[in-house]
Amino acid sequence: MPATSHDVMPDIELYQPTDEENALALANSLGSDGWILGGGQDTYGWLKDRNKTPVAMIELTQIDAWKGIKETADGVEIGAVTTLTEIVQNPLIQSKFALLATAASKVASPQIRNVGTLGGNLNQDARCWYYRRGLDCYRAGGNICYADSPEGLNREHALFGASRCVAVTASDTAPALVALDATMVVASSSGQRLVSAQDFFVGPDRDITSMTVLNEGEILTAVRLPNEWANAEFYFEKVADRNVWDFALVNVAAAMKVSGGSIEDARIVCGAVECTPRRLEAVENAVRGQQRSEQLANQVAAIASDGARPLNYNHFKVPLMENLVKRAIRG
Amino acid sequence: MGEIVRYKRDVWGEEVILGVSWDLLWVIAVAVLVLLAAHAIIMAALANKKMDKPSAEGRRVLRHETIDRAFHWLMAASILVLIATGVAPIIGLRIAWLNIHWISGCLLTFIVLFHIVRSMFWQDFKSMILGPGDFGEPFDSAKKPGKYSFEQKGMHWAVTVVVLAVVVTGVLMFLQIDSPFWDRTNSMAEDQLGLVFLLHGLSTLALIALVATHIYFAVRPEKLFYTRSMISGWISEDEMAANHDPSRWSPKEAD
Repeated sequence: MPATSHDVMPDIELYQPTDEENALALANSLGSDGWILGGGQDTYGWLKDRNKTPVAMIELTQIDAWKGIKETADGVEIGAVTTLTEIVQNPLIQSKFALLATAASKVASPQIRNVGTLGGNLNQDARCWYYRRGLDCYRAGGNICYADSPEGLNREHALFGASRCVAVTASDTAPALVALDATMVVASSSGQRLVSAQDFFVGPDRDITSMTVLNEGEILTAVRLPNEWANAEFYFEKVADRNVWDFALVNVAAAMKVSGGSIEDARIVCGAVECTPRRLEAVENAVRGQQRSEQLANQVAAIASDGARPLNYNHFKVPLMENLVKRAIRG
Repeated sequence: MGEIVRYKRDVWGEEVILGVSWDLLWVIAVAVLVLLAAHAIIMAALANKKMDKPSAEGRRVLRHETIDRAFHWLMAASILVLIATGVAPIIGLRIAWLNIHWISGCLLTFIVLFHIVRSMFWQDFKSMILGPGDFGEPFDSAKKPGKYSFEQKGMHWAVTVVVLAVVVTGVLMFLQIDSPFWDRTNSMAEDQLGLVFLLHGLSTLALIALVATHIYFAVRPEKLFYTRSMISGWISEDEMAANHDPSRWSPKEAD
């Protein structure tokens, strides 16, 4: 039932664990009754509107082990509850992985970046307004997609990979992490597993009610950036209706290894066109070994939108996506 | 105990049916397991009182044509895939199930249509008709059936009704998703859609129970020769004499 905003939080238990074991034990014991949050920027709307009604919140920002940015033997590890502002301002990230710093700087507004965490940005739920309104759509466990109905407003929705639900990933940092070939560290009370960023996000064909591979009781604790893509040539651009405090209509994140003007390797990823960050492998294959140039960009941009299936109101995303890819390639 | 039907509010705030409650899946699973286990125990207790098993040796008679056997196993495979892919998301398995599900559904629909036409014009349709006289068969050991026993006819018609319900509702649901044949319109009214989901869910639950029962009887020692006949096509004359009335069923000799 669509609920009206109460503009206040419901009566709910709040746990603020200060160590990993306690957090994982809470996540395990509370299961689906527990709501895991970092900065809470994706959480409070859900709870204030009473469209999600967990029994308890598990707030992770008191856990020092999951905070901060540190250099490792083979790259950089970022704690999942590190704020986006810290990532934007961190010299190590700026010098080696400026793509992520740029992407993080485009998230929402300065105030939100000050409290919003990397983990929160990556795990945020779909931003389809029908879903957020509390309607019983597919993603909410129902049997219909309101956004993809004849009257549905779907200007912001998917071009690719729609399987009943047409919502898109709303994260700006997710495409950057896929482009950087990051690894997600996922922990639970039974141990730890590593998941590549590309495999971390799931589409509605695999799980229509969740956007990540996280199971009940699991928490994203860190993100590892391998040195393989450090100091590559990066490009990030986000197009939204507003310059701040808005979600992308389309964004693009590209990492390219260029030598003597020739593209040796590339990873190019678009956000907000599919439920998961969309890696453009056909474009990557087309540019690999080619001279980076305006001409090349013009030649391959159309490949980016191959297979797009626009909805009633989002045809504009096709040329937008192609143009962003073109700009990423020409640099 | 959970509910049977799930409801939701539609876009106008009206309460409409959402579908079946999947709590029933566990109820069905437990009930079927208990009933089949009870049957197995009773049959084991009565085993000494049973007649000797008829011999599979000797002359053979044809029970199922090759094409009917092929379509039986295709139907079995498609139904098992449909059940597996339909149940997977309900029990939390994360697989890309939908495409496999509708492709299997298309296969099942084709097989069902083929079987309907073939049974009416090329097979002995009357051998499967369940008449009033059949109902006394389980209570009279002297009374033997024709080609199909009362239990087999009962199972066949139960499966017929349930599969037709699954297929019809499945096709209506198929129209609500994108496919290579059309782009979905997503325009079915929510109350009608909920009813379709409910009927599909209920018929699926019934199908799960029937399939489990069918598989159980297919592997029971005293029925294994029927399963063999669905693979090889034949039963022995001894098996026929022990289980069927030759005056009501006179099959060809098997090759």
